[in-house]
Amino acid sequence: MFLRNYWYVAASASEVGRKPLARIILGEPVVFFRTEDGAPVAFEDRCVHRHLPLSMGKLVGDRLQCHYHGLQYDRSGQCVRIPGQDRIPPNAKVKAYPVVERYGWLWIWMGDPALADPAKITDFHWLDDANWGAKSSYLYVNANWQLIVDNLLDLTHLAFVHETTIGNSALAEHATVKVTRAPNNVVVTRWIIDQPAPPTFVKVGGFTSNVDRWQIIDFAPPAFLRLDVGATPTGTGAPQGRRVGGITMRNLNAITPETEKTSHYFWGQAHDFDVKNAVLTEKIFEQIQTAFYEDVAVFTAQQRSLDLIPDPPQLDINADTGVIQARRILARLHEEEQAALHATAAE
Amino acid sequence: MARADGGGAVKFRVELVWKEDEENATASIYLTSDGRVILQGAAVSRAERETLALPLEGDMISVDRRLIRAIKDML
Repeated sequence: MFLRNYWYVAASASEVGRKPLARIILGEPVVFFRTEDGAPVAFEDRCVHRHLPLSMGKLVGDRLQCHYHGLQYDRSGQCVRIPGQDRIPPNAKVKAYPVVERYGWLWIWMGDPALADPAKITDFHWLDDANWGAKSSYLYVNANWQLIVDNLLDLTHLAFVHETTIGNSALAEHATVKVTRAPNNVVVTRWIIDQPAPPTFVKVGGFTSNVDRWQIIDFAPPAFLRLDVGATPTGTGAPQGRRVGGITMRNLNAITPETEKTSHYFWGQAHDFDVKNAVLTEKIFEQIQTAFYEDVAVFTAQQRSLDLIPDPPQLDINADTGVIQARRILARLHEEEQAALHATAAE
Repeated sequence: MARADGGGAVKFRVELVWKEDEENATASIYLTSDGRVILQGAAVSRAERETLALPLEGDMISVDRRLIRAIKDML
């Protein structure tokens, strides 16, 4: 199940240059490149002639030339040259996709191009905001995208999957979690009041006494999860919105389905303290990356189980509340999108 | 004794809130570790029960209608 009328992260901006880049997005082969003036371009990665991926070709000026018979395509995907032939059939055109470069990522719109409003791109400004130190990365995951969304909306797995890195058992046993559901958004909030700061927080935040700590997960469809985590000295008013003398970090996740069973996982980590300290940024990033590798092992194994027995019955527990709400939103949006598509087709 | 912030003896507990927009949030639904669903509402007084011809025995709460929508959509 894919939602098409959304902006997705397709690549990091630095991946796309004058050498064509092939990537499958929502099951469709796409080729990315930049024109000579640096503008990003994305179109169908398949020559209209004999279906060779155009990403195997090369750029001739701003035209992408097929490696097989030299057909050339302009930035709109229109074939503009067929060697040995003057007449170019008007249907010699591949599908072009709207793309926008923002937050160090290249975003693509896979649905109806008429609806591709860049204002709808989900906010990830922490990745390139001068007030934050940040680093982003990419993971290729052999699992359905919704398994990753589920994982990020669930705090209790930290106690088990990340037992040796960022978790502890209290996260699963003694937690009070608030799940706020809006029509197209889920926020999972957890506060830990007047408790010792975890070792990593002590190290970077310099806390010498108890802290008020928060973990706030914000889900926006189709697969954007922005985590706000941090701590302030206890009693200074963070639960009421006054964050002083503490630290805040953002864990930022954008998952793009490749196929029903594989995903592109773009993520980043940002911090609001010592923002120019690149060594610190790297250290924080590496800690989270280690935990993410642990998650990827889980997604991959889940997908293997699902491949053996598709759609098995499953049990839901209280800790799944945020996950269930997100899944319901996604199912409803998919239904709405399909209904609109069928209505258009029937016209 | 459980503390208001959820520390101490409190087991895993989930609070669910439906928020139509910034101004309109429903009262909370609580899912507790012992398997109960607890709703937030106003106790119905004896006087109200008499006026509205409601049973006098047992605990009763009145809930906002939006909470019913939240239950339908979220549980």
